[in-house]
Amino acid sequence: MPRFRSFPYTLSLTLLSFILMIGTGRSLEFKPYGRGDFDQIAHLREQRARIIHYWSVTCPACIAELGQWAKFINDHRDMDIIFINTDDDEDRERAAARLEKNGLSQATHYGFSDSFVEKLYYEADKNWRGELPFTVLISANAPRVSVTGALDDPHFVAWLSQVTSIKK
Amino acid sequence: MTYWRLVLFALLATASSARAQESLQPSVNGAEGVNKPPMAKHAPPACSDPKPDCAMTIYPAFDKKGLLWVAYSVGKTLYVASSHDQGKTFSAPTKIITLSDGIIDAHGDARPKIIPLNDNSLLVSYTTRPDKMMIGTIFTAKSSDNGKNFSTPQPMLTSGGQRFDSYVVTPKGRIFAGWLDKTHAAQAKAEGKEFAGSGVAFASSDDGGITFKGKNILMDHACECCRMSAALGRDGLPVFAWRQIFEGDIRDHYAAKLSVNGDKLIGGRVSNDDWAINSCPHQGPALAVDIKGVWHIAWFTKGKNRQGLFYAYSRDEGKSFSTPEKIGDDAHAPAFATLLATKKRLYRAWKEFDGAITTIPAQQSSDGGKSWSAPQILASTTEASDHPILVESKKDVFLSWGTHQEGYRLIPLRLAKK
Repeated sequence: MPRFRSFPYTLSLTLLSFILMIGTGRSLEFKPYGRGDFDQIAHLREQRARIIHYWSVTCPACIAELGQWAKFINDHRDMDIIFINTDDDEDRERAAARLEKNGLSQATHYGFSDSFVEKLYYEADKNWRGELPFTVLISANAPRVSVTGALDDPHFVAWLSQVTSIKK
Repeated sequence: MTYWRLVLFALLATASSARAQESLQPSVNGAEGVNKPPMAKHAPPACSDPKPDCAMTIYPAFDKKGLLWVAYSVGKTLYVASSHDQGKTFSAPTKIITLSDGIIDAHGDARPKIIPLNDNSLLVSYTTRPDKMMIGTIFTAKSSDNGKNFSTPQPMLTSGGQRFDSYVVTPKGRIFAGWLDKTHAAQAKAEGKEFAGSGVAFASSDDGGITFKGKNILMDHACECCRMSAALGRDGLPVFAWRQIFEGDIRDHYAAKLSVNGDKLIGGRVSNDDWAINSCPHQGPALAVDIKGVWHIAWFTKGKNRQGLFYAYSRDEGKSFSTPEKIGDDAHAPAFATLLATKKRLYRAWKEFDGAITTIPAQQSSDGGKSWSAPQILASTTEASDHPILVESKKDVFLSWGTHQEGYRLIPLRLAKK
């Protein structure tokens, strides 16, 4: 008798746990990012401008502006914005915690899954040596731009202004 | 009956919640394209054996008897091992510690270190970053039985946050340590004030690294994400180099000697690259001091005034530096320079990548850095690799380099003079 009772009990608890997990927002997942992935990720969808942002938990400047990125996403829903965490798997949980804390759980996230980082840098930009934050800005109506630095970097601001003005 | 009702409720709620979640998915995500399963957290490394070949970073040093020592971590465990045949084979590794909380800082510029001392003892250092905190703690441990056993690791400091330590040992056995220290940054944050970067802190030990005294932050606003380098001056005082945040968020370089009392830094700005950037370059400078007391420094910048890998020297202990000279081929992304000064020559090596192959070119100078031999490729790989490090034994100079495909290599430098 106890065995019959324990099965539905366990099943219901499991399902309720699952509901609680997805009910409070899906858990943050990092898609693996390796060599050859940049071109696919950089490909524009429906001519929407695309921003690929690389960041790390060991980069204080990156962490300081995560909150601003959440606001930026909200203000630019006509753009595709992709976050790529450059840390090792060892740091991925703390990366997830930082993103969740800054309201970025619902965004699209990739994580470096290839230790040949020079190749990953090179594929994104031949002149990139791994400095962060690093952002690649892609639009059908403006030249591709790579920016080392924060969201308020003049190159970033200029690209955004150009893309926005073309749309208007 | 109650349980089955619970199950039914759960099933209905699941379906409903899943639908609701679907409608909540933002249209801005760009998740298309790379169709791969989500990444497993804490995926096992490709190689988990406790040997140097499996380490992401390796730090080499020769002891007085000519034995090569390496410090490295695999996962959460720190090891040292020795080699009597120039890195071809290694002793069974000695495990120093396995962390239960956090990680060992061993990536890029950050790495555990081993320092062979004059009395044949060994000092090991490593930095931990706890799971829930971003700041680090530097630990040291000592072996007096030829690396068989190490003392219980002791923290350099227990608060504030430290990373990127570097060490030099004088002929008399005094150990100087320098590191980047977040204590002042943490204090400023607690007071609601802004603070750029880290402090630059120093200490010394006269008991072979058992204790360090005079721990003091002597300068503020170093770039917190790049290594600091150290070398011993001709007068027995240590020289350090690091990336400094100058007015206007300019992240150029600074080199300075520690005063006799250890309470002052005497030096100056290496160059005016004008790299005004609020970012982490993740690439600190290389430093060497030659037998004539000339300081040699190599660094990376993307400043307004110059971009790439550069070298300069100072003949007046940091008061002035030579005009920066570009190193390497810009088309091959030169980076992560390493310098070494022996009694007769000066050597420099660095990493280049052409999109497919990583190479380590090297040059030598017999006139104190005024002129250099043609670059010569020492090693290459087509897979992931560590930063290159030049290391000196009593008889020779070597490139120490760990690569994913080939494992650990110690390659003697046989460079043409011109």
